[in-house]
Amino acid sequence: MRRSVKIVLLLAATVLLQGCWDKRELTDLLLITAVGIDKGKDTEYELSFQIVNPINVTGALQGGQGEDRPPISSYSVTGNNLTEMSRHASAKMSREIYYSNTNLLVVDEKLAKEEGLIKILDALDREADFRTTATIIISRGQKAKTFIRTLTAIDKIPSNKVNKTLQNTEKHLGENMKTSVQDVIKCLTSKAKHPIISSFKVTGNKEKGEKMENVQSTSPEAIVEADGLAVIKEGKLVNWLEGKTARGVLWLRNKISRTYLTIPMNHERDAVTFDVIRQKTKIGSHLKNGKPAISVDVDMEGDIGETTLPIHLDDPKVLSDIERKVAKELKNELQNTIDIVKRNKTDVLQFGDVVYRTHPEVWKKMEGEWSNRYFPDTDVDITVNAYVRRTGLRNNPNILNHREGRS
Amino acid sequence: MEKAKISAAQLFVLIVLFELSSSLLIFPGQSAEQDAWIAILFGTVGGLALFMMHHFFYQVNPDASPYKTLMNIFGKPVGWSMTFIYIVYYCYIAARVLRDFGEMLLTSAYPNTPIIFANGLLIAVCIFTVRKGIEVLARSGELLFGIMFWLAVTGLILIVSSGMIKPKELLPILGNGPGPMFHAVFTQTLYFPFGEIIAFTLILPYLKEKKLAKKAGLLGIAISGLILAFNVALNISVLGVDLNMRSRFPLLSTIQTVQVAEFLVRLDVFFMLVLVIGVFFKMSIFMYAVTEGVTVLFKLKNPSKVVHVIGIIILILSVSIASNISEHVKEGIEFVPLYVHLPMQVILPAFICIVTYVKMKKNKKKAM
Repeated sequence: MRRSVKIVLLLAATVLLQGCWDKRELTDLLLITAVGIDKGKDTEYELSFQIVNPINVTGALQGGQGEDRPPISSYSVTGNNLTEMSRHASAKMSREIYYSNTNLLVVDEKLAKEEGLIKILDALDREADFRTTATIIISRGQKAKTFIRTLTAIDKIPSNKVNKTLQNTEKHLGENMKTSVQDVIKCLTSKAKHPIISSFKVTGNKEKGEKMENVQSTSPEAIVEADGLAVIKEGKLVNWLEGKTARGVLWLRNKISRTYLTIPMNHERDAVTFDVIRQKTKIGSHLKNGKPAISVDVDMEGDIGETTLPIHLDDPKVLSDIERKVAKELKNELQNTIDIVKRNKTDVLQFGDVVYRTHPEVWKKMEGEWSNRYFPDTDVDITVNAYVRRTGLRNNPNILNHREGRS
Repeated sequence: MEKAKISAAQLFVLIVLFELSSSLLIFPGQSAEQDAWIAILFGTVGGLALFMMHHFFYQVNPDASPYKTLMNIFGKPVGWSMTFIYIVYYCYIAARVLRDFGEMLLTSAYPNTPIIFANGLLIAVCIFTVRKGIEVLARSGELLFGIMFWLAVTGLILIVSSGMIKPKELLPILGNGPGPMFHAVFTQTLYFPFGEIIAFTLILPYLKEKKLAKKAGLLGIAISGLILAFNVALNISVLGVDLNMRSRFPLLSTIQTVQVAEFLVRLDVFFMLVLVIGVFFKMSIFMYAVTEGVTVLFKLKNPSKVVHVIGIIILILSVSIASNISEHVKEGIEFVPLYVHLPMQVILPAFICIVTYVKMKKNKKKAM
């Protein structure tokens, strides 16, 4: 009797201990690397998936199979909300959609302008599979669908190319930055409320982008490249920041690691290029007549990158002159940036956050009207200290000896 | 009472695991916003005071089950009903902890699993452990404490090295004045998790070294309070206040942001391990308290037989106390602390202690 009970229990265990209820096999999953959201024709949205074709991603060493087929596939579905579209996508796909590997979210420019990001971000924030550390970008000048489908040459998976490009350019130039979905959500709900998102465009022949030919040529016809920063106000895209202004914003957010500054000298434009190696920007806030004022302190170090003038770079006095000029140049650049964002009434510099953290009592009175009323009138005081450390492998430029030799 | 002994070190470990378990997962003291960590520190101080009170009661008769002491002091009818109320209370809290566990597991990893199966598997382990007695629980505590410590250290290193910590999120400190912070202390953090230490009055009689009870208890509460405050401060500085408030499980969100060297991502499993270990001990200790109460009340010879029944009651309670997660959480934040925890953790024990104190004084006078 007892024995039979034990046997029954053992048999029951074999049924019960078969593993997870929610098991998911790798072969039953579609790995989504990027998601693009557009405005639909008749519906609210159009969702596009960038899906990895695992067999076609393998390197050359693993055999030639799949080289002639694209490393990604893309499907689009239309619908009125993200969950609906995700579900409807199953009619086009043989496997379950799996968001855990998604590292890029592409939002169409038009959608961001007209409807804003708030609605679409909710579903992504809530979903357990989707990682909010995924990068978010705005597709500028073409639909997100087109962007998602464009093949890239060196990085086989386009979403990786975008992520790496952003990392690379943020580190070496500083006109674009990598923003994750979580950063945007955090910023939308913080005191500053104005996130910035990098935008990307496809240049060249956009239709050719999704064909394998695009990557079979040495100069791809369609190229994906970073292009400016989108400013979000009240959840909607309001304007773009580009070039020096974009860099100024990143500088004031202390996101710059390496970049360059060119200064005029001896009445010649772009005479000396200062290569910034590292910098630190501190934003402080103090009260001036009961109103918050912002102080910006920048310390930067760098080398002389190049010069087109016959100047004595072995003379410390020349270098300290360059230091002064570089500091002045940056100060002007930052001041310009601040003027522009003040005019746009968008606190992308997150000064509101600084005021809130240091003077919560003052902030409480201003909170409702900060960006429209108080921010444009806030005094900002900029101090820049620049240090030239080295001049590269040479001291004086070749042009100097050349001229001296002649005379 | 079973014939078992645990050491002071084991008691310490059990207290730390007990205090940390489910409070690590949610956001205790969330109404204090970025000052929640200060609210937790004040809650810890309150917890230390409450423990001193329980310790006083323990010293009345350090070898007997407190339920028995209760009956000796108040007489049978009153003592019996007090014990009964406490049994119901422990059952309810255990069910709440189990529900927290189930909700969390289903939300983050097993959306297709019915909650009763997730909860049932955990309660099965708890039944097994409680049947084996307090010594087994204490020994497994020592073992799993090591694992938890290791997880915490690795997790911390990974979070720090992914550069996500922004301490400025904690500013301004006491921006809304100390009012909301103290409100959070007296409506939340004092009771959950620190007031729940009352369940340890049932464990204290098993301590081998009677004199070390105070030291181990206070140290355990203080250290877990510090860890908890640190954890909350860490979550806030990674996620920011708003995201913390909106997260069902802030620690999970924090761990999900870890991205080290492009391949160390999605370390949810760390969180799951912490969760399972912590909740297992909390559940087991509450179940143990219930079992012991039932044994005393109904004068059972073999307590291990009722463990199954208690387990099943807690399981059923855990799935039936709320119909959805918001109801469950709302009850936990607004109703339970004031109407359940406050009377059971502070008022009733204080009353018991005062009565005990008065009686002891009288007895002393009579003896003289």
